[in-house]
Amino acid sequence: MSGHEGAALAPTTDQVEGGLSKKGLSAGTVGLIGAVVIGISCIAPAYTLTAALGPTVSAVGFQVPAIILVGFIPMLLVAFGYRELNRSMPDSGTSFTWASRAFGPWIGWMAGWGLIAATIIVLSNLAGIAVEFLFLLIDQVANTQGAIADLAFDPFINVAVCLLFVLGATFVSYRDMQTTQKLQYILVSFQVAVLLIFAIAAFVHVANGSAFDASPVELSWFNPFAVGSLSAVVAGLSLSIFIFWGWDVTLTMNEETKNPEKTPGRAATLTVLTIVSLYLLISVGLLSFAGTGTKDLGLGNEDIQSNVFFYLSGPILGPFAFLVSLAVLTSSASSLQSTFVSPARTLLAMGHYGALPERFAKVSPRFFTPGFATIVSAVVASVFYAVMRFASEDVLQDTILTLGMMICFYYGITAFACVWYFRRQLWDSARNVFFMLLFPLVGGIILLYLFVQTLIDSMDPGYGSGSNIGGLGLVFILGIAIIAIGIAIMIWQAVTRPAFFRGETLSKDAPASLRRRVA
Amino acid sequence: MSGRIVVGYTATKAGADAVALGSRLAVASGASLDLVLVLPNEERSVITPPDPGYDRYLRGQAEQWLAGAAAKVPASVEHREHVRYAESFAEGLTAVADEIGAALIVVGTAQGGARGRHTIGSTSTELLHSSDVPVVLAPKGSRKTDASAAVPRITVAVGTRPGAEALLQTAASLATSTGAAVRLLSLVTVDLPPTVDTGVIRLAGAAHADDVLARAKAELSADVPTEVVVARGDSIETAVRGIEWLPGELVLVGSSRLAQPRRLFLGSTAAKMLRELPVPMIVVPRALGPTVPGATHSVEGDR
Repeated sequence: MSGHEGAALAPTTDQVEGGLSKKGLSAGTVGLIGAVVIGISCIAPAYTLTAALGPTVSAVGFQVPAIILVGFIPMLLVAFGYRELNRSMPDSGTSFTWASRAFGPWIGWMAGWGLIAATIIVLSNLAGIAVEFLFLLIDQVANTQGAIADLAFDPFINVAVCLLFVLGATFVSYRDMQTTQKLQYILVSFQVAVLLIFAIAAFVHVANGSAFDASPVELSWFNPFAVGSLSAVVAGLSLSIFIFWGWDVTLTMNEETKNPEKTPGRAATLTVLTIVSLYLLISVGLLSFAGTGTKDLGLGNEDIQSNVFFYLSGPILGPFAFLVSLAVLTSSASSLQSTFVSPARTLLAMGHYGALPERFAKVSPRFFTPGFATIVSAVVASVFYAVMRFASEDVLQDTILTLGMMICFYYGITAFACVWYFRRQLWDSARNVFFMLLFPLVGGIILLYLFVQTLIDSMDPGYGSGSNIGGLGLVFILGIAIIAIGIAIMIWQAVTRPAFFRGETLSKDAPASLRRRVA
Repeated sequence: MSGRIVVGYTATKAGADAVALGSRLAVASGASLDLVLVLPNEERSVITPPDPGYDRYLRGQAEQWLAGAAAKVPASVEHREHVRYAESFAEGLTAVADEIGAALIVVGTAQGGARGRHTIGSTSTELLHSSDVPVVLAPKGSRKTDASAAVPRITVAVGTRPGAEALLQTAASLATSTGAAVRLLSLVTVDLPPTVDTGVIRLAGAAHADDVLARAKAELSADVPTEVVVARGDSIETAVRGIEWLPGELVLVGSSRLAQPRRLFLGSTAAKMLRELPVPMIVVPRALGPTVPGATHSVEGDR
């Protein structure tokens, strides 16, 4: 059959790893622009900023730009470790698989749990933001002067619409429905353009003297030492971890890029430059427009902090405010889908290695997605959001703070996993010393410190939105509860499914030094 | 027909239907099977970041699924399995069919219909719009028919449109290779607007049908045992419902006149028929390409 069976066909019987099937894909389809677009749409800057800017201002005041710059450092350091692990063991379980290989099943399980918890929290927050902007957009288009926008704050309407959003995202993820590349490019460009216009308009108001509380830009805004209190810096940092979360995907795209030597590095650099410039421009613009006062539009006002664009887009852009609503909505919607993939694939890997029931490893035979895991993630995210909406005074702010903490938790473990997994290769070359030891180690220590310090600070009932149960801050209770539930489920799984916990399905490993082998 | 038959497989009941029907056609005609599982390729993924780990997992799963499907193919039938990456199920199947010069593509019809009946899903629809190879639609429940069951008869739904030659040609070669008899069928009431009085339709239809069938019969070789039947009814649906079927029978229809030459498209009459048919339906393109079922093809006898 030589004449007809082209190289593109790989009969499964005799050629599992050859030709096209090497990774099973048309290798090298993602170009530089494509990688940047995926990176930006995963980070979803419009959504991230509206959710994180307020809480960050409440933590560090005018020094938001400084915190954004500093917050990028641990993220970058850990991302290097992430990249090494991904290169050595590409696996959809990511942190779960890597931590299990480095530290064994128990820590691996908890790392996976941390990742799933963080992504599920962000799913609920994303959907919550999307709901508020949906109502705002309708309000702006129908010109009802806030009558419709206020409906978003009725808890029952809010939860109902939010669940519809999650249902829609689940459906799209389950069926793996993708937009066209062109549309995705347009959406990302639109998002970036609107954010630029938004920031520029804020500066124009400041220059014209029509700003709400014009505050001249000062150099001290970029100085992290001007914050004053260390716990304020810690709180700000764990938020700025969140705003860069998702950026690492550009670094880890290797085999898929057209030029694996250069594209991932360039894409990651270009993405991060775009993102950091946008973040700085907007945070400086909004700070100098609105100041950090606690009244009305001041960014220190608790009532507007969890969703600042929602309140500031109207005063800044006037009749064009609907553009911001549209940008945040599309940004949340596409991020909702790329975010859904993450917990579902980790759950799938955990099911596959026997750390969770086998059902989680099921792939939908029609849509080739981790069907069961996707549905479970959606149900948990919905329940979490509904409970939080009623339990917390400010669900969005508290979920964002908890989220930052959970990211520190599982990213920290991942960073240490890199150092420990490669322990026999660390001294192979100067490059390894930096990328496998120093960078991830320092990044991991910073994240671990942030995690512990946030946990301690959040015991204060005044932390975050000020919601508390029995005098303990809600964020603290959430963080502890998530970890405690994780440990409980882990023990339950260890009893019912001991193979994984005996290291039979995923063994500990440490690749030998390459230098010694050569010598 | 010692050619090759492509079976579009998914690990669903529809996929099992397709494998069972493909096996039956292969046994009856001496063809070999190519079981194809189509996975989405990465080019369409513009939102979700690529994940080589997941892709590897998916590939392993796909191979496992195909092995399960291959185990259901009768031992006498030569078969190969392929995992194919494509934008869509239809694109993957037509690409494989073109590369290996397949004579037929077999797919199961979408789930949700009544047992034994067809329901056309979006993937089948896309395939019917894009294939230049005859497409066999396996109705729900085909998997319950024994693979060794013969094809006793092939019914050809004849119209006056271009495409009848290709249709009859396919029918003749299928009949020769499977040893089936041919029944030429014409449905009355075709192509008159619903507002026209039904009595008029019947008259017009009957005259039309006899004429068409006589011409079609003349085109078929005398070696093939051929009978002729006219089905009458107020509507296509009632006309089809009145026809008797043998177990294991196949129906051939030509694709719509709206289709481009050598591309398939299911016309409204065929679509209405399909909903009522309890037997597999084969949709034949208006004009056949170089790959004529039953004709000696260069891939014949390889391996």
